[in-house]
Order: sequence, then C-alpha cells, then structure tokens
Amino acid sequence: MSEFLIEGESLHKTYQMGRVDVPVLRGASIHVREGEWVAVLGASGSGKSTLLHLLGDLDRPDPDAGIIRFEGNTIQDKSNRRRNHFRNREVGFVFQFYHLLPELTVIENTMLPSLVGLNRFKYYPRREALRTRAKELLTSFGLDHRFSHRPRELSGGERQRVAIARALMNEPAVLLADEPTGNLDEHTGGEILDLLAEQHRAGLTVVMVTHDVSIANRADRVVELRGGQVVEEEAISHKP
Amino acid sequence: MYQPLLTNRYLASRVIPFIAVAAVALCVALVIIVVSVMTGFLNLVKNSGRTLMGDVVVTYPVSGIAHYERLIEMVNELDDVEASSPIVDSWGLLKMPYPDGPGKEIKYIQFWGIEPETFAAVTGYADTLYWKPPTEEKRAMMRDDDFRKRIADDFGEDILERFAEAGRTLQITPADPNDNEPRPAISMGIHVSAGNDRQRDGSYEPAIGGYWFMPKFEVTLTTIPVFDGAIGDSESYIFPVANEFVSGVFLIDDKRVMIPLDIAQKMMHLDEAKTYNDLTEEEGIDPARATMVLIRGKEGVEPIALRDQVAKVYDRFHVEHLGDVPKRGLNLKVMTWEQQQANFIGPIEKERELMRTLFMLIYLVCAGLVLAIFWAIVYEKTRDIGILRSVGASRLGISWIFLRYGFVVGVMGAILGFGLGYLVVHNINNIHDAMGHPPRWLVGSLSVLAVICALLTIVRSRTGRLLPVVVGTMTTLLLTIVALGVYIIRARGGIVIWDPEVYYFTEIPNDVDVGSAIITMVGAVIFSLIGAFVPAAKAADTDPVKALRYE
Repeated sequence: MSEFLIEGESLHKTYQMGRVDVPVLRGASIHVREGEWVAVLGASGSGKSTLLHLLGDLDRPDPDAGIIRFEGNTIQDKSNRRRNHFRNREVGFVFQFYHLLPELTVIENTMLPSLVGLNRFKYYPRREALRTRAKELLTSFGLDHRFSHRPRELSGGERQRVAIARALMNEPAVLLADEPTGNLDEHTGGEILDLLAEQHRAGLTVVMVTHDVSIANRADRVVELRGGQVVEEEAISHKP
Repeated sequence: MYQPLLTNRYLASRVIPFIAVAAVALCVALVIIVVSVMTGFLNLVKNSGRTLMGDVVVTYPVSGIAHYERLIEMVNELDDVEASSPIVDSWGLLKMPYPDGPGKEIKYIQFWGIEPETFAAVTGYADTLYWKPPTEEKRAMMRDDDFRKRIADDFGEDILERFAEAGRTLQITPADPNDNEPRPAISMGIHVSAGNDRQRDGSYEPAIGGYWFMPKFEVTLTTIPVFDGAIGDSESYIFPVANEFVSGVFLIDDKRVMIPLDIAQKMMHLDEAKTYNDLTEEEGIDPARATMVLIRGKEGVEPIALRDQVAKVYDRFHVEHLGDVPKRGLNLKVMTWEQQQANFIGPIEKERELMRTLFMLIYLVCAGLVLAIFWAIVYEKTRDIGILRSVGASRLGISWIFLRYGFVVGVMGAILGFGLGYLVVHNINNIHDAMGHPPRWLVGSLSVLAVICALLTIVRSRTGRLLPVVVGTMTTLLLTIVALGVYIIRARGGIVIWDPEVYYFTEIPNDVDVGSAIITMVGAVIFSLIGAFVPAAKAADTDPVKALRYE
C-alpha cells in the first residue's frame, strides 16, 4: 500500500498553440496523503489547472513524461473503462465556472455522476436511495428549496454549492477543486471554503488550485508551482 | 442512464431539433404521397383491367373466331373457369342526340357487342351501370339534389330499376308488351355524352337541369364492316340509350359503348351466313364469329396458369375445327389481361420504380439536415461534453447521446411524416378539388392574414430588431403571393390539376401504400442515424479539457 493517496511524478505537459509548442508542466511532482488538504498555488499560466486535470485523469501527460498514481497504481496503465470509472468514483471535480448542465435541474445535476456511472438495470433499483443522497447533500449545503430549479435561476454561490454536491455525490476519495472561489465575491467565496473545510474535516482529501495566497492558506499544505515545476512546499501550521 | 435524460432535455429545450423533425417529416410525407398515388394508379389500372376484361382473353381481331360457342363450351369445362363470354370489338361513329353547330354531334367510339348475361358474369359490368337504384349506404351519402334522387322523385322509385334492367339486358321492353317488341339498346360510357357533367362529389348531372339525360334519347351507330380483306358498305343502327356505365377508367368511359352481340355481328358481317358457290349454289353455312372471348377464372386461380390451360384448350379446338379457325400465333392470341395491357402497365410500373428511386435521394437530404443541425448542437454543447467526461462518461457514451438524438428525430419525423402523408393521400381528391376550385373565403382569409402580418411587422420594426422585420416581411409576401394565386385561379374558373383525360381515371387514387410507407419510414430513421454519426463521432473526440475551457 502506497504512502500517498494520489500522486503525480515528474509530469510534463506541452500544449500546441498553432505551430508553437508551449510547455506548461516541466517535471512537476505532487504527492497527496489521504485526508490531506493541499493547495496548489501559482500565477496564471503556471500550469496549476493542468496539474489538477492530470491528477484527475481528465488530461494525459506527454508520452513517457510522468506518472499519475492513485493508491499506488499507475492510472495510465489502466484500461479506458477503468479510467472512466476512476473519474466517476474516485475523484470529484469542482470548477471555477461551476460547469453545471443548464438543461438539468439542481437535483439532476447533483445526481449526474450516479446517472453516468450506473446503467439502467443498476440505477432503477437504487434510484430512491440516490435521490435521497442528493437531497441530503443539497440540504446540508442549504439548497433544500432549490431542488427543481435550473442553474440559471441560482446565484453564483448556489451554483458552486451544487457543483460541490455533484462532486461529492459518489463519495469520491479525493476532491479536485480548480479555483473554486475564483468567480465569487469574497463573502461567498469564504462560505464555499468553509464548506470545503467541513468536508475535509469529515475526512475528505482535497487538492485545490488557487492563485490567491490567503485562500491557499486555508489548506494543510501549499505547493507552489512556477515555470511548470513545483518550487516550494509549505506546511501550514495555523489551521483553524 | 444519463443519455435518455439528456436526449429528452436537449430535444425539449430548443427549436432546432424540431426543424430537423419537420424536415424529416416532410421528406417522408413527400415520398409516401408520391409512391402511394403511383401505386394506387397502377393498382387501379390493374384492377380495372381485370374487372373489365376478366382474367384471360382469346383475341382474333377483325375476322373473328368461328365456332366460338364451341370454344366457350370447351373452356367452361375447365375446373378453374368461372365464366366465359364472346365479344365483337370494333370502332364506329356515334351520332349523338344533341347538336354540335347546325347538325348533330358525331363521336368516334369503340363498340363492344356483348351477351349481357355472360358478360356480366365475366366482368363487373352490371355494377358499373350508373343509373340504378343506389344502396341505402350510398343513398345516405348522396346530395339531396343528386339527379338520381330527382328522377326517382319525379317518376317513381322504380324508374331507376327499369334503367338498371335495360342496362343489364341491353334491351328496352315497352310498358305494354303487346304494343311492340323489345328494342335492342345501347349502354354508353358516362363520358361518351358531352352532356354529363361530373360534380365535385363524383356524381353526374345531365346538362341543362337534366335535359340531356341520355336514356331519354336515341343514338345512331355507324360502322364499316371488314370481311375477306375488303371494306364493305357502312352499316347503321339506331339504338335507344338503355343506361350509362362508369368503369372509372376515363379512356373506356369516354370511348366505349355496349350493344347486343347479335346486332354487332350483323353490323360487322360476322353473323351466321350461307355460303354460295359461284354466287348461285348454296354451299354451306359460314358460322357466326366473335373477335374476342373473355374468360374469368375461379377465385384464387392465377391468370397465367389459367392462360396456359386455355391455350391447350384452344389447340384442341383448333384441331377440331381445322381449316375454320386459325392456329395460335401472330394474330390469334391467348393472353392474360395483364399481358394484353402490358404496353400500358409496363411503363407505369417502370415510372413508379424510377420515381421511388429518385425520391430515395430525399433520404440524403434527411441525413444532410440531421448532420448539419447536430453538428451545430454538438458545437453548442461542447462544454457539456467536457462536464460529462469529468464525471466519468465514456467517449462511446457521449456519442450515444447524439445517436439516440438522431434516432429520436428520425422516428418522430417518420411518424409525423406518415401521419401527414396519410392525411394528404386520404384526402387527396378533396385537396385537389380545393386547389382546383379554391373557396372564396380562402382569398379573404389569406388577405386578412397578410394585412395582419404586415401590421405586426410594422409594429415590431419599432423595436429596432431586424429579425422580426425579415420574418414578418417574408411571411406577408408569402401570404400575399398565395392569396393572389388563389384569386387568379378563382378568376379563371379554377384549374384542373388531375386531368382525367391525361391520367385515365376520374379520381386520384387515395390509398396509402403501407409497404412503401414502412420502407420509407425505416429509411428515414436509418438516414437520420447516418446523419447523426458524424456529429456523434466529433462529440466523442472532443478533448474534455478544451471543452471545459470552451466559452
């Protein structure tokens, strides 16, 4: 059994912009223990979102340029089916712009990972239990009056809470949050961070990307990314 | 499990898929209408051919088949034969009772000399008579001022039965049999007389308030017999009109008359006659002849099988009357009714297949439309694809959303198209009548709608937006053009789109060809799916990271 829940080792990632290759990650490594809250701090374009996408297997590192491991197993070695399952069950993504499906209601958006992960034969027997789970999550996030609303009818803070509820629906091992407060005012952003802290206290592993030092300081540990490499790791001692 | 939910929501939340559904529906309806009418037309030709001629025909034009009674006797001995009937078929001139300029109108017609009883057993002749008592069901559907009701009111209920009897027997029996002998009579196709006006409900009204009701009049048939390779002197005969018949085939209803067989034989010099040697000594008897023998098979007997049996019978008949009757070959033919009509049926069948093939190209339109519309939807839904991938959806699962979507659009379009096609085909004669003779209120309604549309466009133009102005102007123009077109059609007294003189039948076939309709619907669904494949593949290939960054 690995010491780390999720880790990225010597990750390289290059994007092509027209005819120009733009290296974003140049051998970045990150190691996250179970139950840890790690903030990845960096300026715009430093590659922090890319690092998060690689950890969540939403993107792939350059060929032969780094390894992603989950519970000690290399993600790249797994079949596409196992990797889809990994994204569905083991990680939950939260994005800066919420990324809710506009045609679905709040409760349907929350249940989306369950709908994706289960076929109709597995879904229907568990439908009520899943609805109850989604409702409980939303209620605990103060959204019990919003079940049948569409995302466009919600405020920014409410949308982000729905996005977090969606990320937690399948009880993932790790939450990957990409600038979760980046699109919110300070007060609402604070509420969202409180919510993440609460989940963390309940035992959830969180990897959060931010460019804001004060927000990064809410984490257990801050990893700074500069020029596509991790240049500094800092353990935060002033935990609330 | 998410695909059905998203398919339904994507479908319900935007207008553009319904444009695809409408386009598919129109394509399907178009194919169903065209193929149904063509198939119906072909079936009418075939059915009317069988109804009017029986299953098998033995023909020997002009000279006629001698000893035809014996041939009929031999044919009737076959187990598969229901009935047989002799015909003398020729052409002549018919002097009508009504004037055409200073004289009477002369019409070029085909006459058939028939034995009414056996002819009715072979064909549906008795049912085609027009002046007969209607069934209760038909009477209930008739207009109050239908001419048949009017003459029944004026002359008593049995008048129509008397016409029917005269039509069936081709003779008119005087009210008092002591007065006169029964007179041989003629039965004419309903369009032979220019005095019969076809009404929009399919009934006929003799012109000038019923004055030119043919069974009141006599007509004179004149023909020129041809015998021994020579043309004889013209022969004329005056017939009272017994009845008129409606076969449904315009060519026949416009050109054919029925007269008693013996009269036709006499006029064509095909009756029994003594033969003389050197014009002085009586040599023998030249038997009566018929130019055709029509044969109906029993129910379920294949015409081709029956033809082969009749051909064998004819060969025996030929041996029996060697020297008197010709051998089967160039001029004497034993054919099924379909073979006899082959020159007519063949091109229609080919034309239908050609139309079917050409209209199949419409499927490509379905596929192209679905492709274009779905491409736009995939483009619009790029971010959704990224979100779904982030929660674990597979590439195949993503593509399945759009394939389902294409399938649903295809199925909805096919069902709607079938409904539309069915409605149009079922009511095609009413639609045709309405298009040919548009009602006055239609001009008014279209004009009012055009004015309302123009006013609304002016009001909406004040918002400064261009879209309502463009849509409003186009709709106003369209309504104005249609109203103008309808007005012009009315001003010209209507137009005949389905001209029976061109299409042979007085009514447009209105039965949906269900087999072709099902093939068309399945084709539309398949091609909608084919159209959805490309956008679905594009969706599957979408990079989730780029998709999430897509604005």
